[in-house]
Amino acid sequence: MTAEPILIVKDLTIDLLTAHTAVRPVDSISYQLRRGETLAIVGESGSGKTVTCFAPLGLMPVGVKADVSGSVLFEGTELVGANEETLRSLRGKSIGFIFQDPMSALNPARRIGHQIAEVAELHLGITPRAAEARALDLIKMVGMSDPNARLKQYPHELSGGLRQRVMIAISIAAEPKLLVADEPTTALDVTVQAQILRLLKEIQARMDMAMVLITHDMGVVAGAADRVLVMYAGRQAEVGPTEKVLVAPRHPYTMGLIDAIPRRDDAIGSRFRGLSGLPPILGAPIKGCAFTPRCRHSVEGCGAQRPPLRTTADPAVMAACPVLNA
Amino acid sequence: MKAVLEVEHLVTSFPGVGRGKTVRAVNDVSIVLHSGEIVGLVGESGCGKSTLGRSIVGLEKPESGRVIFDGVDLGSLSGNRLRAARRAVQYVFQDPYASLNDRQTVGEAIDEALIIVGVASKAERSARIGQLLDQVGLASAVRDRFTRELSGGQRQRVAIARSLAVEPRVLICDEPVSALDLSIRAQVMNLFLDLRDQLGVACLFIAHDLALVRQAATRVYVMYLGKIVEGGGSDEVYGRPSHPYTQMLLASVPEADPMIERRRKIPLIKGEIPSPTNPPSGCFFRTRCPLAVGECARIEPPTIFLTPTHRIACRFANEIAQKSLTDA
Ligand SMILES: Nc1ncnc2c1ncn2[C@@H]1O[C@H](COP(=O)(O)OP(=O)(O)OP(=O)(O)O)[C@@H](O)[C@H]1O
Ligand SMILES: Nc1ncnc2c1ncn2[C@@H]1O[C@H](COP(=O)(O)OP(=O)(O)OP(=O)(O)O)[C@@H](O)[C@H]1O
Ligand SMILES: [Mg+2]
Ligand SMILES: [Mg+2]
Repeated sequence: MTAEPILIVKDLTIDLLTAHTAVRPVDSISYQLRRGETLAIVGESGSGKTVTCFAPLGLMPVGVKADVSGSVLFEGTELVGANEETLRSLRGKSIGFIFQDPMSALNPARRIGHQIAEVAELHLGITPRAAEARALDLIKMVGMSDPNARLKQYPHELSGGLRQRVMIAISIAAEPKLLVADEPTTALDVTVQAQILRLLKEIQARMDMAMVLITHDMGVVAGAADRVLVMYAGRQAEVGPTEKVLVAPRHPYTMGLIDAIPRRDDAIGSRFRGLSGLPPILGAPIKGCAFTPRCRHSVEGCGAQRPPLRTTADPAVMAACPVLNA
Repeated sequence: MKAVLEVEHLVTSFPGVGRGKTVRAVNDVSIVLHSGEIVGLVGESGCGKSTLGRSIVGLEKPESGRVIFDGVDLGSLSGNRLRAARRAVQYVFQDPYASLNDRQTVGEAIDEALIIVGVASKAERSARIGQLLDQVGLASAVRDRFTRELSGGQRQRVAIARSLAVEPRVLICDEPVSALDLSIRAQVMNLFLDLRDQLGVACLFIAHDLALVRQAATRVYVMYLGKIVEGGGSDEVYGRPSHPYTQMLLASVPEADPMIERRRKIPLIKGEIPSPTNPPSGCFFRTRCPLAVGECARIEPPTIFLTPTHRIACRFANEIAQKSLTDA
C-alpha cells in the first residue's frame, strides 16, 4: 500500500430528480482511498451507498437526472462534470464494478461466456480467441462448477449466487485499478464468500488495486476492509480504521448497528436486537441530525443543527455526533 | 404440532447444457413445516434452495414427488381450491428487482395484493397498506414512490409487505433480509417471529447468514447439490454439526471482530466443485470431503439418526459427532 491516494472524494452531493420527486441521497460525502486499500461503506438501507459510488461514474438508471456536485478525483481526473466519453473510457477498464443487482447488469439474451469475453477483448485488446480463454480462466477463478458448460449458459439459468460470480468475473476481467463492489457476496454462501474475498485480496495485492466495498455484513468488513465509512440518510455518520470503528464505535447509529450483530450467546429463538424507529424516506435535505428521532443520546438542539463530521478523541476516527464526542 | 406443509421425495430438473443432459436441481428432497415454526434452509450457492422453494409454490414443475398442504396433495387439486391453497403459501423472492413491477408505486403494488384477497373497501385497503408498510419498517412516505425509485433493501421490504397482504399461512422466504442493514434486519426478523407466534405462520427461511438462521429457526436443513445432507433442531445442527459439509460451512462464518477475523484460518475447500449435470457417484460431497473413503464413491451414504430429530446423510456421522463432543 502506497501513500498516494487514487481516489479523492470531496463534498460529494447528489440530487436525484425524477418526474415527480427530488431526493438528496448523497449529502456532502468526503473520503480518500489509497492504492491497495479497501474502504467498506456500510449503513442503513436506502442511505445512499449505491448512489454515492455509481452516480459519479455516470451509472444511474434511466429516467433519473442525477445532479452531482463536489469533486471526485480518480488518478487526477475529475469525474464530476466529466463528459460521457471520459467516463466510458474508465468504466470497466481502470474502474471495475460489481452491481448490487446482477440480473439487470447482465444481458439476458447472451451466453455468459460471450459477455465475459467481450469485456476482456474490449479492454485488454486481445484476440477473440484469447478472450475466450480468459473467460474460461475467470469462470474457474470465481469457483464455478462445470466451467466449460457454464460459459454456454444464459443468465436466467443460473442461481443468484452463480450470477453474482459472473458479475465478479466481468469486473476483474480487465484487472482494474479501482474496484467498486456493491454487496458482492450477499448472494453467496459463506464458503464461496470466503473464496471470493480471498480471490479479490490476491488480485488486490498483485495489482495494488483499491477497493470500495459496500456491504451489510460486518464479518466481511472485519476481514476485508482497512477502513469503514458509515452512512446514515445520505450523510457520513462515522469514518475510521476498521479495528477502531467496529470495536469502539463513536456514533450512536454505528453503535446500534454493531449491537445488532447476532452473537453466539444469543438464545435460539430469542428476539433480534436492533434500533427502534424507521429510517427517513429521503426527500428534501433534513434539518439537523437525521438520526435524532431514533437516537438514545439525542439532546435538545440535535434536530435543529446538522452536526459536522469532526475528529474524535481518537484522531484516526471522525464522527458526526457532538453529543458523544464533545 | 401439526404439519402444515410436507414435501415428499421432490425432484425438479432443468435441461442442462448438452444433448439429453439434465440438472437435478432438487434431488429427492423431503422436508416438513409445522404451523408456527420457522425452519432454516441453508447450503451452498447453486445447491437448489430457490428451486425447492419455487417448486413448493408451483413456480417450477417438479418431475416427481409430492407437496402436501394441510394434509392435501396439491397435485390432486385444481381450479379454485388449488388457487386458494397457492395463495396460502407465499414466496418472498430472492431478487426484489425481479419481483416488483417498475411501473407501479409502492401503494399500488400492495393494493393489488389486497384486491386479490378481496379486501373490497378502498378505505380499508388504504389503512392496511399503511399498517403493512409500518410492519416492514418503511415510512408511509414511500407509498407514492415508484418501486424503481427505491434502494435494494427498500424494495425487499415492499416485496415482504406484499406477500403479507394476503395473510399467508406459509411463507417461503428466499433470503428475505440479506439486502437489509442490521438494524432494519432485526426489525424484519422480529416481524417474522411475531407472525409465527401471533398468527401461527410457518416459514421456510432460506438464507446464507448462518448466525441469523440459528437465532430465528427452531430447526434447520442443510442442502448440498440438490440433497438434504443434514437436518435437525438448531441446537443440534449448530451444537453438534455432524456432516462434513455442515462443519465446513459453520467454520467459514466470518466474525465481526476484526482482531479475530483477520487471524482466523479460513478452511480451504479442496477438490473440484462437482458438476450438477454429472454429479459424483455415491456421496455427492465425497470429491471435496476430507474424510472420504473408497466406499463413499460406491454407495450412497446411509441416513444416520443421532437423535430422533437429528439426521445426517454420512456414514461417518457418529464418529464426527463423537469427535465434536470431545473437542468442545
Ligand atoms: N432510480 C431512482 N430514482 C429515484 N430515487 C432513487 C433511485 N435510486 C435510488 N433512489 C433513492 O436514493 C436513495 C439512496 O439509494 P441507494 O440505492 O444509494 O441506497 P443504498 O444505501 O445503496 O441502499 P441498499 O442498502 O438498500 O442498497 C434511496 O432512498 C432511494 O429512494
Ligand atoms: N431455469 C433454469 N434452467 C437451467 N438451470 C437452472 C435453472 N434454474 C436453476 N438452474 C440450476 O439449478 C441449480 C440450482 O439453482 P437454485 O437457484 O435453486 O440454487 P440456490 O441454492 O437457490 O442458489 P443461490 O444460493 O445462489 O441462490 C443451479 O445449478 C442452477 O444453475
Ligand atoms: Mg444499494
Ligand atoms: Mg437462490
